[in-house]
Amino acid sequence: MSQKSRSTLRPLIALSTVSLLALTSCGNGGGDGEGGTITIGVTGPQSGGGALYGENVEAGIRLAIDELNEQGVTIDGEEYTVEMRALDDEYQPNAAATNAQRLVEQDDASVVFIPHAGGIHAAQEINTSRSDFLIGAYSSDRRIIERDNELTFMISPPFVSYSEPFIRIFQEEQGAERLGLLATASEYGQQWTTMITQDWEDAGGEVLSNNNFDYGAVSDFASSVARTLSDDPDVILVGGPSQTTALVIEEARDQGYEGGFMIMDQAKFEELELFTDPENLNNSAGVKPVAEFDDPGTDSLVERFAEDITEERPITAETSLNFQAVALVVKAMEIAGTHEDPAAIREAMPEAAAEVDDVFRVSGFPDEVTDEGLLISDSLEGAYRDSEGNYEYFPMDIE
Amino acid sequence: MTLFVQQFFNGLSLGGVYCLAAIGLTLVFGVLRIPNLAHGALYMVGAYLTYFFLTSAGVPYILAIALAALVLAGIGIGMERVVFHPLRNAPHTHHMIAAAGAMFFLHSLIQAIWGADFRRMESPITGRVEILGTQVSWQRVTIVITAVVVLIALTWFIKRTVHGQSIEAVEQDRVGASLVGINPNRVSMLTFGLAAALVAVAAGLVAPINLLYPTMGDVIMVKVFAIIILGGLGSIPGAIVGGFTLGMAEVMATTYVSAVAGEVIAFVVLILVLAIRPTGLLTKAVQR
Repeated sequence: MSQKSRSTLRPLIALSTVSLLALTSCGNGGGDGEGGTITIGVTGPQSGGGALYGENVEAGIRLAIDELNEQGVTIDGEEYTVEMRALDDEYQPNAAATNAQRLVEQDDASVVFIPHAGGIHAAQEINTSRSDFLIGAYSSDRRIIERDNELTFMISPPFVSYSEPFIRIFQEEQGAERLGLLATASEYGQQWTTMITQDWEDAGGEVLSNNNFDYGAVSDFASSVARTLSDDPDVILVGGPSQTTALVIEEARDQGYEGGFMIMDQAKFEELELFTDPENLNNSAGVKPVAEFDDPGTDSLVERFAEDITEERPITAETSLNFQAVALVVKAMEIAGTHEDPAAIREAMPEAAAEVDDVFRVSGFPDEVTDEGLLISDSLEGAYRDSEGNYEYFPMDIE
Repeated sequence: MTLFVQQFFNGLSLGGVYCLAAIGLTLVFGVLRIPNLAHGALYMVGAYLTYFFLTSAGVPYILAIALAALVLAGIGIGMERVVFHPLRNAPHTHHMIAAAGAMFFLHSLIQAIWGADFRRMESPITGRVEILGTQVSWQRVTIVITAVVVLIALTWFIKRTVHGQSIEAVEQDRVGASLVGINPNRVSMLTFGLAAALVAVAAGLVAPINLLYPTMGDVIMVKVFAIIILGGLGSIPGAIVGGFTLGMAEVMATTYVSAVAGEVIAFVVLILVLAIRPTGLLTKAVQR
């Protein structure tokens, strides 16, 4: 019996070996002849509900790589071509960790970008033990750098940075007292809600009933909006994917709400404006649109996004922050003199921050990289859209 | 009180959409005895087709929905021929796997054509109307009226036309129906076409108050399955009662309890019904 099963297995084994070989040779194919290849790994959602988000992140990485290759990358006297290798994890933490491992083992990536907290946590279980690699963590959940993982750097400003200016604008400057909660019910949304509830109450305000609901799973949210408005709030916390957030804001305005909105950092003004009459967004605070930055590289990236990626939607921080991070990490490789030792690359990052070319400075380029792995920018700002529809920008302390 | 009236209309419109989506699923189950897991994907395709006719082809809204229903009926019939018909003698698990395959195929197809972006379909029906002292949007009124009209037309079709009666006959007894000369093949195709047309209407109606994206059908799929189990698998009146009950329960629970309660209410009701009446509320005696 065992012999029979072996004979049926043999062609299978042969087949899988062949296809594995084919896969590996594909992965290393690109850069032969002209020096070595540096592979930047990415695992993010390419299909399913998060597909667009994944596309935006990948776009930033791809644009940075194109620019780097044009300029030329030299490590330890040798020229390199940078390549991106992206795998789909459908937003699943376990798939992200498996993909990261694959990218490291098969494609020799020493840096893997992961754009969601769940995947980052899963990859942190293996990136300092099973195989060494540096995680480019794109998530605003601060806990990703609070686990003493020395091979992680946090690309997005932590969302706790928004709490203080948001409360100052609405509570101190406008005298708002009653805060309604109508954010997305994901784990990220709950974290945000807990933080703002605590800070709002500490500052002397009143927090009303929690009407958070899952922005991705509810077919009709008019009732959640109505319930929030029945508490008579002065300001409402909203946020989740931009497009759904826009509809929630529009529904609230349609039902007669005239107060302000605090918009969580996942939603972006430039996208919200496309999905609802921009007037509905008056009197709201949120993330500063990328195109509004005056950094040296802003205009050229906005233009290249429209040319090379799409004209159908505006560029957002999802693209620009990852664009900056790739340039930073490749500069760190040049300084460290290696593209294979993640610890040395990580160590060179603080020094690299000052030396990155101007074209990569787009929307609050990091001035400092802390030991924890936080990227700190002194020029980062948030945005407040006033009751006339004009944007004002306020400085934010990254903490 | 105004809050209640407003929410009552929200519940009615949501219920109407659930109904239209659920009837298609329950029809297919009644005739072919398979749970069509790709039904939510058909709903999504219906929404995109309406979007296409409305924004790209510039057809008026109601006509755009009708055209989408027509095209989706064709897709439904094609699906029956290509995916389910060849499996008619295979075990039921094969149908489920094939349906899941069809679902992923449609997701990818739509993502390839329209991309993964969220899309917003602006309805030409804007403004609000005052009913019983509260403001209700015309879009919601349109949803309720269209749903009722379509439900009446469907009942007439099933009860009064030869084709409709043949669907009911096959539902009740497949062998008996073929003995009296009804072609079960034709009925299968007809059922799939009808189910797809209905779900396209549901999607076209709800699209303006929601967003379009390739996985939008997954959300409603779970609810619709709950509805047809609640109403009794294969029962049209069951799907109608179940649809409105669930829509109303969801809205009222969200309003008077909490948003979380609104999301779980479907399953609480479902568990209660299954515990008390495991065959569903309105299962016909002949159901096997």
